[in-house]
Amino acid sequence: MTDNGAAPFVLQADRVWFSYRNHDSVLKDVSLAIPAGKHTVIMGPSGTGKTTLLRVLAGILKPNAGQVSIFGQPTHELSRRQLSSLIGYIPQQLGLVRNSSALDNVLMGSLGRISDSKALFGLFPADEIDKAQAALDLMGIAHKSSEPVFRMSGGERQRVAIARTLLQHPRVVIADEFASDLDLALASEILTRIKRAAEQEEITLIMSMHRIGLARQFGDEVVALNHGEIAAGFIGNESLETRQLEASV
Amino acid sequence: MKSRLLLPISAALFLIAVLTHLGFFDRERLARGVRNLGILSSEMFPPDVAVLPTASAALWETVEMSFAGTLLGFLASLPLSILATRRLFSTWVSSAARFVAAGIRTIPVLLWAIVFVIVLGLGPLAGTFGIAAYTVGYLAKIYADLFEGTDPEIMEAVQSTGASKLQLVRFVIIPEAANAVLAQVLFMLEYNIRASSILGFVGAGGLGFIIQIYLQSLDYRRLATVLLLVLVIVLVMDGVSAWLRKRFLLSAHAA
Repeated sequence: MTDNGAAPFVLQADRVWFSYRNHDSVLKDVSLAIPAGKHTVIMGPSGTGKTTLLRVLAGILKPNAGQVSIFGQPTHELSRRQLSSLIGYIPQQLGLVRNSSALDNVLMGSLGRISDSKALFGLFPADEIDKAQAALDLMGIAHKSSEPVFRMSGGERQRVAIARTLLQHPRVVIADEFASDLDLALASEILTRIKRAAEQEEITLIMSMHRIGLARQFGDEVVALNHGEIAAGFIGNESLETRQLEASV
Repeated sequence: MKSRLLLPISAALFLIAVLTHLGFFDRERLARGVRNLGILSSEMFPPDVAVLPTASAALWETVEMSFAGTLLGFLASLPLSILATRRLFSTWVSSAARFVAAGIRTIPVLLWAIVFVIVLGLGPLAGTFGIAAYTVGYLAKIYADLFEGTDPEIMEAVQSTGASKLQLVRFVIIPEAANAVLAQVLFMLEYNIRASSILGFVGAGGLGFIIQIYLQSLDYRRLATVLLLVLVIVLVMDGVSAWLRKRFLLSAHAA
């Protein structure tokens, strides 16, 4: 549980329990409050429930008990389209359509605002195309907009995924270990870009990570998860001591 | 160890029993067959090229029927396969769509041709519909299985942008399966060209009609010309589909 006492909470999980069918609980009585405009990092060893927690927070999975609310409204009461205007989600493997171009992938971020008939023929409004180009530009890959994703490098794909999420205009972006496959320098560059974009668009960022160095560099808040339970919450970069975090995870 | 050998030994014994029942070990009959094959081959040589104009016209009709039937079947199979995709629709809807596809697929293409000859009368239109019907049943099943295999993470990521089911089909499911979709259409086109060369046996147009005439009149030199034409068109189709695969499919696997 984190609380910096100043910023209002954007996303809250209240005593959340979750288990996949016929399996033990992955999340056990998890309560979290994510402050607005901050970058919260969720850390923990593999298989500890980070991905499940993020998918529950994103409204993709429904908790077995407890609830998640965004701006005070339970996520399960919101439609998929309503939720998409509030929360953007970047999965670990990015979820890009490999045969489509970078621009087409980014434009998918606007699908929640486009009617079926227009989308069916690929008729995106000109302003959405401009915004998608601008998002690619912000990520530094505007020159690759017509390139199919399968031809792009790992770092370029990360940027396409971020640009797609930015086009959703969400208030919160949830990213699952999405820079974990990159080398440290590239991961740091990608995280700097997403952090800068989040600050520019006033987006609250929630990311899971396993590298303590990156967490210290990019997390305003760090939450440690262990065996599906909140092990510790750290407020502010300065108070995040490596030893302290290592001990908790 | 014993239980490991049980299956291959049983399969081998079953194969021997089946082959015996089919007359595979009737030496006298097999020897007679080899002699007859020699006679038939000698009677086919040299092929009579005088029938080329007639055979070429019939061949073109076969190609037209195959091309139109495959494309019509492909277009009809897409909505059916989407309805049959369990991850998009309820069990009831997808099971009903799969049942329809299985029902269509159960009937061989020659029987479909007979059905359409009865409904539409003699000629290549009946053959075209026959090919289209069989193509729907085959492709709907293959595509539904392909679509179900779409990476769930991609589906989830695009769903979280607020995409509707139709948008998921348009932007995720079909582009992700595009390579396999194209490969299967090409396979079906090749198959249909071979299959449609006998549809004329039942009056459904194409080469089959003249093949039947030459067979019945024991005119094997003319038959040889027709078979050579079929071979040529099959080789051309192999070449075209190899080019298409190289052009559109291999690049995607280079990632």
